[in-house]
Amino acid sequence: MTKKRERLEVIRDILNSIKEKRKIKPTRLLYSSNLSPQMFKTYINELISKGFINLDIDKKEKKTFSLTKKGFEFLSEYRVIENFIENFGL
Amino acid sequence: MLFYNLIVENKELLKIIYALIITIICFFIVIKTNKLFKISSHQGIRYLRNAFLFYGMAFIVRYFFGVLHFHNSLGNIYSFLIKVFFESFIIMAGFFLLYSLLWKKLRSKANFSSLFNKEIALFYGMTFVFVFLDFIWHTGAFMFISQIILFLCALIISFTNYKNNGKRHKFLKFYFMAMLLSFTAWILNALAALYFDWDKGIMMGIYGINVIFFLLFLYGIIKVTKIK
Repeated sequence: MTKKRERLEVIRDILNSIKEKRKIKPTRLLYSSNLSPQMFKTYINELISKGFINLDIDKKEKKTFSLTKKGFEFLSEYRVIENFIENFGL
Repeated sequence: MLFYNLIVENKELLKIIYALIITIICFFIVIKTNKLFKISSHQGIRYLRNAFLFYGMAFIVRYFFGVLHFHNSLGNIYSFLIKVFFESFIIMAGFFLLYSLLWKKLRSKANFSSLFNKEIALFYGMTFVFVFLDFIWHTGAFMFISQIILFLCALIISFTNYKNNGKRHKFLKFYFMAMLLSFTAWILNALAALYFDWDKGIMMGIYGINVIFFLLFLYGIIKVTKIK
């Protein structure tokens, strides 16, 4: 059985999916995140409120997500954070 | 013997320097962990940061009151101030340190404030009771017992963590060592206070152990956050 992903791992996966595509549609991101629509919404709202991602709406009302500077910073620091949590048994 | 006498003669000054060193280490740890918490919002990092914030506040209080006491500006209220502020902050720091290891097991949810919420209110309440009882009975026994129990729990958890993941995560060994040192220091502290009339030799040993405890955390934080 696969281990349930930790909260930080889910965030990392979402941000990595956005980083790979640079801009990604909500439905595509939902599929790649492997989350239920309800959980997906919770995570997305959290990531937007924390300033990790932007929700861009173009002239045709099409929605896409993109990574902010803070989002890039999180990804680059992710290994440090993960390492810290594991080494301190938090 | 000469070195020992020199230390004993300058005991008050050394206590001030000791408090200052620990304060600096604690605030460095707080800055580093706060940065990691801001990025990750991880509750364990948040409570670890709070633990060192309270340790830092305890030792800064001890430093300032120590300086004032050194210049005889505080008179008789020195021991009262130390008892109320230093003891409160130290007990709270112990609670936060243990909680940083336990929060996941207790399934505690993220709160808006990690310093003022329902769970933490219980710690404040217990701290108040311990300090109050120590104050009215002119003892430090409640603080010692609370810290010995807290660090015994932290020791068991850190040992389990080390046994399970020690090979992959090297700092878990040092974390366990830090808990063992602090547990030993609190036992010695209790013995020195309750049975040996604050024996100078024992107290110097305790100060040494405490410095190593904080240096171990400092080492861990520098080493772990350096990896990219």
